[in-house]
Amino acid sequence: MAIAVAIRIRFFARLREQAGVETESIEVAPGSTLAEVYAALHGKHAALPEQGAVRAALNQEFADWNTPVASGDEVAFIPPVSGGC
Amino acid sequence: MRYDITTGPIDPRELEAAVTHSGAGAICTFSGIVRDSSRGQSVTHLDYEAYAEMAVPQMRKIGQEIKDRWPEARVAMAHRTGHLEIGEVSVVVSVSCPHRAEAFAACRWGIDELKQSVPIWKKEHAADGTHWIEGDEAKPVA
Repeated sequence: MAIAVAIRIRFFARLREQAGVETESIEVAPGSTLAEVYAALHGKHAALPEQGAVRAALNQEFADWNTPVASGDEVAFIPPVSGGC
Repeated sequence: MRYDITTGPIDPRELEAAVTHSGAGAICTFSGIVRDSSRGQSVTHLDYEAYAEMAVPQMRKIGQEIKDRWPEARVAMAHRTGHLEIGEVSVVVSVSCPHRAEAFAACRWGIDELKQSVPIWKKEHAADGTHWIEGDEAKPVA
């Protein structure tokens, strides 16, 4: 059994500026949910908004905060979008 | 069906060509244009940023939902990223259908969905400074 799962985090737009990085590789405990991943990142990058202000995406799809992550996953946190005009 | 995120200019006619066929009696094309004011402030230019690897599948999903609702529709969507000047096209949604009522409805539905769920963000450079736009809110850039 793995002692940690390695995942890749991507930040966009305002979150990218708040985190100060575009991508980050982190290790979390097996079974960690997207909410737990965000909490860990929030601890590291204090300027990130509260969880309620963003949505989670797992491997390029919107996902529930309770979804567990697995090794090799790509995780992104999506602030309210503003495409269009 | 054609879905693009692109840094180059978007030609709405190219998207119309992608949905044109002999059974399509109506093509409705929405073009979103960078305008010179926002929130009562004059705007100099915009920067758009996308999570492209997710935005394209998300646009494809909207296209599929349009097909579920209007089975005869054909859909093309494109969104530009990077630096855009006033008057440039930022987004195009083109839908063809046999008749105009479905074409208007499907195109309207498509652009509304795109604005809700496709991971693209606008950074607005205006007289009162630079802001990230998040939904209906403008957040100053520190």
